[in-house]
Amino acid sequence: MSIEVKDLHFRYGKIVALDGVNTRLGEGAVGLLGPNGAGKSTLLRILLGFLVPEKGEGTVLGHDIRRDQALIRRMVGYMPESDCFVAGMDAVTFTSYFGELSGMPRQEAMKRAHEVLFYVGLGESRYRLLDQYSAGMKQRLKLAQALVHDPRILFLDEPTSNLDPHGRVEILELIRDISTNKDIQVLISSHILADIESICSSVVILNKGRVAAEGRMEDLRAIRYSLYELRVKGDGGPFRRELEAMGCRVDETEDRLIRVYMPAQRDRMDVFRAASTTGVQLRYFVKSQTSLEDLFAGAVGVD
Amino acid sequence: MATVRAKGYSHWQGSLVERRFPWWPITRTGILLAFRKKRFKFVFAMSFVPAAFFLVGLYISERLEDFQAFVRGSERLINISPDYFKLYMTNDSLLFFIVLVLAFAGAGLVADDLKYNSLQLYFARPLRKKDYLLGKMSVVAFFVLIVTAVPGLVLFIFKLIFAGSFRFLLDHPWLPLSIFGYSTLLTVFFAFYVMLLSSLSKNSRYVMILIFMTYFFSSILHGILNSIFREPALALFSIPANLQQTGAFLFGQKPPHAFPAAWSFIVLAAVCAVAAFVLTRKIRSVEVIT
Repeated sequence: MSIEVKDLHFRYGKIVALDGVNTRLGEGAVGLLGPNGAGKSTLLRILLGFLVPEKGEGTVLGHDIRRDQALIRRMVGYMPESDCFVAGMDAVTFTSYFGELSGMPRQEAMKRAHEVLFYVGLGESRYRLLDQYSAGMKQRLKLAQALVHDPRILFLDEPTSNLDPHGRVEILELIRDISTNKDIQVLISSHILADIESICSSVVILNKGRVAAEGRMEDLRAIRYSLYELRVKGDGGPFRRELEAMGCRVDETEDRLIRVYMPAQRDRMDVFRAASTTGVQLRYFVKSQTSLEDLFAGAVGVD
Repeated sequence: MATVRAKGYSHWQGSLVERRFPWWPITRTGILLAFRKKRFKFVFAMSFVPAAFFLVGLYISERLEDFQAFVRGSERLINISPDYFKLYMTNDSLLFFIVLVLAFAGAGLVADDLKYNSLQLYFARPLRKKDYLLGKMSVVAFFVLIVTAVPGLVLFIFKLIFAGSFRFLLDHPWLPLSIFGYSTLLTVFFAFYVMLLSSLSKNSRYVMILIFMTYFFSSILHGILNSIFREPALALFSIPANLQQTGAFLFGQKPPHAFPAAWSFIVLAAVCAVAAFVLTRKIRSVEVIT
């Protein structure tokens, strides 16, 4: 296993970011999926040693995340979510600078900077000042600086954020090429399911600082359930608890619409039985169309 | 924009090295970036004007026979003593130029990294916080030393050359050490001073103003308080006064203010301590908002 964490806890003040995360990530492209605030970026930052976990342990390529941070950072390329560059530099200087800081000899770093800039599609604009780069170009540049020292693992934090559809496709194509053809493991943190789905072979889904589900994409896709939307008259609390006792996930929207994710082995009549048992009237009952996101959300309990 | 993957990705065949001075690329790049600013080049060149004046003074002093027409009764036009070197190192114009150079070269050292979120890129590398700080502070050190220690020692050497003997060195063998020691003190103080102010804002223009205003306001404050209370120790509020007081001590000259030089050392050390405290809190790989 290239990455392994056990019982990882971290909090920002009173806000719990990670609440006992356990996971083992193998080779290939792995997606770190979850809604905003699920703890994805925090997990990446802990793996890089930016943040020290309150509790728990972990290894990256066999190196301890608490003790061997320098070793880990030599082998990992990190592409942060936010725009980041150094003012007054051009792309070649920028990329070779960070190659050098990773431990590359100066001349090698410069040579390599040219190569990776061509690879990410910035070859022709590599001498332009970074202040003049578009959002898409900055995203490619971040990828270039993450690749310059030829890492064994790439941590990509929301790699397609702020990109137009065309730019997004291009970045995803690059990441797919890196993960499938270049023997570099990729860990992608994203809240965009389609991105993860198009690149990753396996996924870890975080919610509220916990691992909500993990496994191969095909296995997760195989999960089937039905989604019903309903409104009730009467005390919805016992009704909701009854449905949850049946193994359903129940969400309520602000306008009191109840969404019931029902496992495949259950029958819709169970909803009526639960209503009858708890003494509520069903005033509205519709089988809803489920998007791919809903499918995941329902299966793993992500809001 | 070029087509994606105009060239294929290939693995790098070399091996990463563990540098003895991992901060050096930061320093070198910081110096190079400073020289890319057009106005900085002019300011940097101007910072050698005081040294040029003092060099002329040295020449006139040692080649007195060439300037007999200017002499009115005094044996020497300018008396070259350790006080002359102290005067060069602690004069207001040199300190002004140091502040000016650092405002251009140092304002963005941390501020730009905070503005453009690049700290996380640095710390995603095998760099420790002290490597980052040392790299940035060394940029300040480079510029302070190059406008203080280098001209100071060059002036000393020219004094010997113009005199044509080593008599001055034999009389004052500690003087090169004083020049270097005071330059080091200026370097350490200004490194902390500039880094502290640079870490307080994400806007390097504000930091430039801060670097100037803090320096000159301390002097103005001293002037105002002194005119009211007439107390020499009030010079402790002034950055230039403290630097001049410590300079006089290191050159073995009479201090300009009537209080122990140790007090000024303590004030400067306190500024450095505050800066170190603030920097360790502000420089983080991720901004944690709780």
